[in-house]
Amino acid sequence: MKFTQIIILSILLSAGWGCDKKNEDLIEPLTAESFPQVITFDDEGDGDLEDADEFSFKLTLNDRVDTSGEEPDGKIVPLTSDVTVLFEVTDWEGFSSIKEYIKDTRAFYEIDDCTTSEDQGINLNIVFDINTGKGSVRFPKNVTEVEVVFETDEDLLNDNLLNTEERAVSFAITGVQAAGNNVVYNKSAGFTYEVLDDEGISGDWELDHENTAAFTAFKNLFGLVNEDISTLDAGDVDKIEISIEYGEIKVIVELKETETITECGSMEEVNKVIELEAELEDLSELSDKGDIEFTGEVEQPSGSLKEFVYTGSFQVVSDNLELVLTGEYDDDETEEITLQLTK
Amino acid sequence: MKKLCLFVLWLNMALAGSAQTPSGNALLKGTVSDGSNRSKLAGATIKVAGTNNGTVADLNGQFALYTSPGNFSINVSFLGYRDTVITVSVKSGEVAVLTIPLSSSSSQLSGVVITGYLQGQASALNQQKNADNIKNVISSDQIGRFPDPNAAEALQRVPGVNIERDQGEGRYVLIRGLAPQFTNISVNGEQIPSPEADVRFVALDAIPSDQLASIEVSKTLLPDMDGDAIGGSVNLVTRTAQSRQSHISGSLAGGYNNLIKKPNMQGQLQFDKRFGAGEKLGIMLNGNYYHNHLGSDNWEQAPSDNEMELRDYELVRTRTGLSGTIDYKFNNRNEIYFRSLYSRFTDREWRRRYVFIPEDEEIEKLTKDRFESQTITSFNLGGKHNFNKFFFNYEGQYSEGEQDTPYDHEIGFIAGLPSSFGFPDAKYPVLDAPGFNDNSNYAFNAAGYGKTLAKDRNLTAKFEIGIPYKSGISNGLIKFGAKARFKKKSYRLTSDAFESSDGVPALDSFDEDPIKDKFLGDRFNMGRPLNVTSFNRFFNANPGLFELDVESKSIDEALEAYDANEDVYAAFAMARHQFKKLLLTGGLRYEKTNVKYDSKDVLIDAAGDLESILPVTGSSDYDFLLPQIQARYELSKYNNLRASVTYSYARPNFGEIIPAQEINREDNVANIGNAGLKPTAAFNLDLMAEHYFGNIGIASVGVFYKKLNDFIYRKILFNAPYPSTGTPIIESIDVIQAQNGNDARLTGVELAFQRKLDFLPSVFNKLSLYTNYTYTHSNAKLQSRGADQSKPDAIEELRLPGQANHVGNIALAYESGKLVVRLAANFNGEYLSEIGGEASEDLYVKSRMQLDMNASYAIDQRIRFFVEGLNLTRQPFETYLGNKNNINQREFYSWWARLGVKFDLRSAR
Repeated sequence: MKFTQIIILSILLSAGWGCDKKNEDLIEPLTAESFPQVITFDDEGDGDLEDADEFSFKLTLNDRVDTSGEEPDGKIVPLTSDVTVLFEVTDWEGFSSIKEYIKDTRAFYEIDDCTTSEDQGINLNIVFDINTGKGSVRFPKNVTEVEVVFETDEDLLNDNLLNTEERAVSFAITGVQAAGNNVVYNKSAGFTYEVLDDEGISGDWELDHENTAAFTAFKNLFGLVNEDISTLDAGDVDKIEISIEYGEIKVIVELKETETITECGSMEEVNKVIELEAELEDLSELSDKGDIEFTGEVEQPSGSLKEFVYTGSFQVVSDNLELVLTGEYDDDETEEITLQLTK
Repeated sequence: MKKLCLFVLWLNMALAGSAQTPSGNALLKGTVSDGSNRSKLAGATIKVAGTNNGTVADLNGQFALYTSPGNFSINVSFLGYRDTVITVSVKSGEVAVLTIPLSSSSSQLSGVVITGYLQGQASALNQQKNADNIKNVISSDQIGRFPDPNAAEALQRVPGVNIERDQGEGRYVLIRGLAPQFTNISVNGEQIPSPEADVRFVALDAIPSDQLASIEVSKTLLPDMDGDAIGGSVNLVTRTAQSRQSHISGSLAGGYNNLIKKPNMQGQLQFDKRFGAGEKLGIMLNGNYYHNHLGSDNWEQAPSDNEMELRDYELVRTRTGLSGTIDYKFNNRNEIYFRSLYSRFTDREWRRRYVFIPEDEEIEKLTKDRFESQTITSFNLGGKHNFNKFFFNYEGQYSEGEQDTPYDHEIGFIAGLPSSFGFPDAKYPVLDAPGFNDNSNYAFNAAGYGKTLAKDRNLTAKFEIGIPYKSGISNGLIKFGAKARFKKKSYRLTSDAFESSDGVPALDSFDEDPIKDKFLGDRFNMGRPLNVTSFNRFFNANPGLFELDVESKSIDEALEAYDANEDVYAAFAMARHQFKKLLLTGGLRYEKTNVKYDSKDVLIDAAGDLESILPVTGSSDYDFLLPQIQARYELSKYNNLRASVTYSYARPNFGEIIPAQEINREDNVANIGNAGLKPTAAFNLDLMAEHYFGNIGIASVGVFYKKLNDFIYRKILFNAPYPSTGTPIIESIDVIQAQNGNDARLTGVELAFQRKLDFLPSVFNKLSLYTNYTYTHSNAKLQSRGADQSKPDAIEELRLPGQANHVGNIALAYESGKLVVRLAANFNGEYLSEIGGEASEDLYVKSRMQLDMNASYAIDQRIRFFVEGLNLTRQPFETYLGNKNNINQREFYSWWARLGVKFDLRSAR
């Protein structure tokens, strides 16, 4: 039997030798389960008019798998213990020093739609050195988003000139102090706050809806994608405004008809509005004239979305804005239509 | 009703008149072996002289024959051996045990091991000649005649069989022009589960050919065989210990792959011995290992998307086989056995590809590193009991198939570069893409990290009872039995896709030296490939730069995962009756199948976003009554005529029936299950004439006809809306779905010729020829691809997917003393692989002929050196769309070779 044993052993050895070269030269990547929590900026940037007295960025966490299965497209899973997030100003333009523009900071998170941590006196230990531009904030456990607000000198950049140079301040996350938490930060993520020039195209522009030609032009242009606008009667309208903001454009028709809304426990009588939102794909900023293109989506009866696009040009003369646009939607196209708007 | 009438008619014929169980039975048991080397002679016929009462020796040369008591003679015959007559005396209720040595009728067979190949061929032909049904048998010796490392490649030499290859190696078997799902695969007579997630058929490249004693390909079914085999039934038979002398055999070989310029190696070791004075206990152990480096150079195009890919594959494959058989004979009437088989196939693949997308002015560079193992394990525990008036066989089987992909990593980079390409000669693309191989142009796009685990488990129990009877001078057997098989199949996967907005360095930070100098004959410089390990190291060190696409993960994992249970209950009754020269075997089989499955439905809202994932439970059941009749008429000692009428069916694959939906918007492909899919049912007619040569050989011609109802085919609806009913949420996507066709007809002619050409002049009389050719023609009716709302019932006719008109083999061997040289060519005709949205989009696999060579030289009866060369003419794998000029894929493997030694210590006595 000794010989038999040798044979059996040989066979087993050969089998063992044959088993799996699978781990040769292999580095197993982190799995979704072992992947750390990633703190990052909620958005890449934001902007406001030059007379704004504050701006903010939000720190948040990347989505993770919802193990309960209730949200299969993922959700933010809050931290299980507090971490401190370090951030700093990485660049600025339009002013000589950080302390010249930024005066103070605060931070908060939303507890619900009507209550913030500030309301309850919760201190997030925000620290910001206006000399070095370095700061830190506590990202508490069980919180999905922390907003860091910078109070600014509202007069510093509020000039009466059309600025042709960019005015902005950029931030980066530089570290997290997680103390045992499996938390990292997105090293490449940045946030840039841009100062929008109210001598340029940015801001709110009003259309004279009582001017029949202007109102008809407006209806022809935006009635293409919005049935409510196409059937609008000038007599029902209180105000028509086109608002050009950071990265987006809003067409707001404020009706005379009002409705009562309840917000955070208080009731308010407000005008009904028809609103059309679109993303600015192309805009000649830092100029009083140039090209403009914006796109949006319209929900169909089936629930699907269909894209529209408006392209054209603009010119700002003093407090007047001339928009020359062509709209395309669902194989239909408008003629080139000119809108005259005022501040 | 028609089936039932056929069965009743058969039973009447079989049992008509004076059929009776002999009042006093005796049992002859014994072993037929070669008189000089004691090799067991499988397929030998043992017949009581002057009667029609006979039987055939099994794979171990053993037989059991019920007779009337008394003194009589038995005739024993075996192709290539002298007929032998033995006088026997046996009393009622007793068992006579015979050891029957036969002498070779040919001097060439007396050389024992050197000509052991001929013995294997003789055994195979004897089994084929004496089988009740139409079948081909390949013995292990025959497998050794060709350079075929796995079971699929061994099967390609059988008439009517062609194979689908993966990376140049045989994988799936197609019998008589029918796709792999029409063939069932068994080990030791019982179906084995498929390790793959979606299908039932088994990738036979997982099973090393060294592990097998023989392979049986049954082309017609008997009632005691599973009915779900329209094309045929492949039975892989493992080895058994045969004698008290220790038998050790093995091989060791090393080789070289010319494309990848790397070595390969293989080894095999087997031990078998029977123990005890009465040789009651037999033990056989076999282990083998195969390690191969291989690769391929590939280009393929998707004309509808105006995309072209260059693919560079590098693979390391291993096959490990372990099998063992323990059998114990309590006495001459009762024995039990335990057979086990373990096969493990591993495949590590690096796929490096460029995707040229001129329309978007983009070029993608993707690198995959994937490991996959397929494991098949089976345990068969059974017994055979010969009682005085009947025999009782039973078996329980546990078998498991598992496909484990512990990692499947694909890293994608993308460059915003223009490109253009054309195919002026349809052989190679001409590419204009400046800078495409400069890695600094490529930015990170996505990293996919996946893993999958598919399991399929069968638990089977079956029994059969056979009652011999006598009618006049004719003898027969009534047999009935039942079987239950409980299958549990599951599939789990992890699909993590990570993206990054910024911060990941360009591809040149992760590249490495190329694995080879030339690609597609030096037509393209593929540049430096990405090293996945290097990228993964960066990924792990910088997780903050990456974000998981949770929605895609949830969708992919929910859609593909499932659990299924399938219970099959079967029963059969049959009779086998010898009318002088006519042997009729027939009966009825009933099979009922209950399927239950749990899967998940993914609801995607109209905006294309994930809405919810809902658990789904479903079931289906169906049953079949399958009459089977076989006739064999012995025109003379060496000539048989055969005919059969059988019914069979093929179950839908799990992946086809489970109504999961996989919508890949990135690839613009939707795979959708079809819960309403019906099994394909078939009516089969076969006729065959066989002539066997006394010096071992065969010439045969057969015709067959099959009518398939509800055949299943994989249909691609190009640029279809999704979903197909209601308001579409996707306007245009390629939808792939299994569907039932109307009906299909398949006819064919099968020719085979093999013999030693010893009738030729002396210069050539050491040549032998092995050749076969199969012609098939099919005609399937399905809903016309031009059908629309105005003509929804429009019908279109085309050939069955998988059906090649021409399939054949030719092998010419020179066998002289110690030297054997063989040149073997295998031809697979073109066949339709996937049905497209219109005829011009039908995907065909182009005809291919592979030329292999092997030679061996025997030092003595124990040791033989051999050399093998495969794919000597470097035939590529090619596919085309619609017509042969529209080639859309060519994959090149070059040639590979092995050199080694085989030893067989059986002769050392």
